[in-house]
Amino acid sequence: MGVMQPSAFEQILITTKVEKVMNWSRATSVWPVTFGLACCAIEMMAAGASRFDFDRFGAGIFRATPRQADLMIIAGTVTYKMAPVIKTLYDQMPEPKWVIAMGSCATAGGPFDSYHTIQGVDKIIPVDVFIPGCPPRPESLIYGFMKLQDKIMTSSLADRYKDIFEEVG
Amino acid sequence: MTEPIIPPAPEVPEAPAGPYVYDYAASPQRQVVMPKTVPLPSYRTYLAEVKAAAEADEAKWKKMQADYETAKAKAEAEGKDAPKPPVRPVPRKDDNDLKTPWPQEAKDADLLLLQELLGAKVEEIFEQAGELTCQLEKSALHEALLLCRDHEGLRYEMLADQSATHYPAASDFAYSVVYHLTSISRRKRLRLRILVPEGFVPESACSVYPSANWMEREIFDMLGISFANHPDMTRILCPDDWEGHALRKDYPVVGWGQRDVAFREDRGGMIERIALQKAGQLGINLKQPKAD
Repeated sequence: MGVMQPSAFEQILITTKVEKVMNWSRATSVWPVTFGLACCAIEMMAAGASRFDFDRFGAGIFRATPRQADLMIIAGTVTYKMAPVIKTLYDQMPEPKWVIAMGSCATAGGPFDSYHTIQGVDKIIPVDVFIPGCPPRPESLIYGFMKLQDKIMTSSLADRYKDIFEEVG
Repeated sequence: MTEPIIPPAPEVPEAPAGPYVYDYAASPQRQVVMPKTVPLPSYRTYLAEVKAAAEADEAKWKKMQADYETAKAKAEAEGKDAPKPPVRPVPRKDDNDLKTPWPQEAKDADLLLLQELLGAKVEEIFEQAGELTCQLEKSALHEALLLCRDHEGLRYEMLADQSATHYPAASDFAYSVVYHLTSISRRKRLRLRILVPEGFVPESACSVYPSANWMEREIFDMLGISFANHPDMTRILCPDDWEGHALRKDYPVVGWGQRDVAFREDRGGMIERIALQKAGQLGINLKQPKAD
């Protein structure tokens, strides 16, 4: 009839890459740290609560310890006194780990061009997604999180450990 | 043949070397503007201001009269009509609801009692908008706090707030330190104030009111006034290795820009201090090496 019938082999098997499965599993169960610094944390809580329901994206399990978390949402102003604490928490998170800078304070210092505020959290830790807003609404946070999911899905093991591979040769 | 007029080449500014870096030290917001006045409420200065204003008003009226006399004499000499005599302007009626409350004479029994008990150590007492203020000599503060807490007629049980302000324009002092006392049993509030010069070390209020501990640490952190006999005179808001005191008027608050963040294991010896404290509570002497 000209129509290609799938073989019995194709009906019972899905072929894909290991990398894609790993990325999919990582992107759909990102556990953030319970960690808020200022008013952006209120919006983060609102995003986690029932109205916006962050859990639909697999990111609703806020862990109380960085050792069980994959994602750190920097929600608020980063001061010079808080910077070593954030750095310590980030170092305690296991690989692979991601960081979202939420709000204009965490992105670039916000209105606090002042003696006590770090002008962007990317001065101390690497950031994957920046979310503008003062504070960003939960929709913005969810959109930023979806962008992070895209980034995780397109990431590759080879890219992630490129430096190590090159070193090993 | 005349030479053609060549237009002068436009001056091209030299490109800055390297990437563009905003010079925060030269930014206009970074420049410190020192205040010229001392906005410290005081009944004595208020009276002086009122007196000076009345004198200026009188002098202006005298000048108007003298001007009129000369103009009259001149008109008479020239045979013209005499000018109109001046009218003293009636002072504008102020709307007291829109004015800030001005200091008034102290009539409250607490203030009068304090003055009676402390005598010449009280520099000034006044009321402003129903708030009681007592300015003391800086050495008499501890005695006054003890009196306020323990005297039968005062009974101020609580130190609600303690803070300080920098007045760089003042000549005889640099900071004012205020103590806001609250009497819960009598439902009254009282403000004690001392004026201290730069470098003066006031007596700590911790032995009288334990709540002064953190507030004095904050004053030390923000303004650099250290208190004598304080149990733990360290910074409370800024990191321990911070330089400068942020609420001084000569401290630039705007435009530090991007600075490097230093990560050290023990910033300013905080961990060592806590360890020594905990060990002291347990009766262990960490400072002396253990004998073999």
